[in-house]
Amino acid sequence: MNKAATRRARWRRESCLRYVDLGSAIPESHRAWYGSSTRHTALLANVPVWGMIIPIMGATTVGTSSGRALLGQTRLSVLALLYGRPDEARYLNDIVRAVGAGTGAVQRELARLTAAGLLRRVVRGKQVYFQANAHAPVFPEIRGLIVKTVGAVGVLRSGLEMLGDGIRLAFIYGSLARGEETVASDVDLLVIGAAGLFDVVSALAPAQETLRREVNPAVFPRAEARRKLREGDPFLTAVVEGPKLFVIGGEHELAELVR
Amino acid sequence: MSLQSWSADGLLVPHPVSPDEVAALLAMVHHNLEQCRIAGLSPDWRLNIAYNGVLQAASAALLAAGYRAPAREGHHYVVLQSLLYTVGLDVTTVQKLDTLRKKRHTATYTHAGRVSDREARDAIELIDGVCADVEAWLQSVDR
Repeated sequence: MNKAATRRARWRRESCLRYVDLGSAIPESHRAWYGSSTRHTALLANVPVWGMIIPIMGATTVGTSSGRALLGQTRLSVLALLYGRPDEARYLNDIVRAVGAGTGAVQRELARLTAAGLLRRVVRGKQVYFQANAHAPVFPEIRGLIVKTVGAVGVLRSGLEMLGDGIRLAFIYGSLARGEETVASDVDLLVIGAAGLFDVVSALAPAQETLRREVNPAVFPRAEARRKLREGDPFLTAVVEGPKLFVIGGEHELAELVR
Repeated sequence: MSLQSWSADGLLVPHPVSPDEVAALLAMVHHNLEQCRIAGLSPDWRLNIAYNGVLQAASAALLAAGYRAPAREGHHYVVLQSLLYTVGLDVTTVQKLDTLRKKRHTATYTHAGRVSDREARDAIELIDGVCADVEAWLQSVDR
């Protein structure tokens, strides 16, 4: 055993952390809850069993957002995927892979959401596709929730937060903010702060990968933006007055800038 | 990846080295690096001129290495990436140049005014450095 493995084994022993396979303990009817893997890390040794063990669900964590507080992880992941790109239909295996949860859990969510009219189920050849249902009465609200929590806004925010105080205000403008984006649409982002363009671009690189959209930031120091707005700069004026989705800061920071 | 494999893929075409062509391109680089500093120009335009300068510098390095990039879709990308193999620029710097390529593209074709003074200044500073690196490399190859 190499040094690192020895250290890991000791750490596990000392911290009473064990890998346990819950497989045999889970009734067949509840398997779907556990996703494809029944192997979980749990603090078990020397710990009396007082209540239920909360399984670590397999879905890819999409952030500790308000969206996550409202909905279960798997449901939120499914909605994030399909309402994040409402123009795309995706087939089951593709969704399972992207969400990172078990097939059963994902299938169950898809069935519920389809029955509720939030998703469209389309059969093409031998494949079954699912897509956000743009005709659902609550489509704009769900879409807004997703975009603002785990969709573009959430993803961009987690990137920009790395730059800390370097950014005072950032918002999406253009087609995405208007809700008119297509598969080919870029994300147009206005960033106000002391951070430089290259810092912003490298902080946004993972977000660009996640969103599978080109992110085009325009970075203005605060003083320059204020001056140009006073001078009636056509680009900044149009962007500030048009529809926007706040990523960092909000109306308050915007009002300070325009004042 | 190498210039040879790009040539095999048709992204580059072998081109006999001509000192006159390299010198002509370098003269354009100098011209553009001066022009982008003219007072009163919009930041979009300053970025555009400086970008042309670095594209010409990268083309000069490619020519000195015996290649040119035929004008086709994506050739700006190829020319800038070639700096990795000609001058031996680091990946981070080439990524920054690629950021400027996209920036200049959107500023030219979709939205005017999308470039800030600060962005243009940062771009010119970066491009100045890269062009100096290209010239130093060309002199070292000459010897």
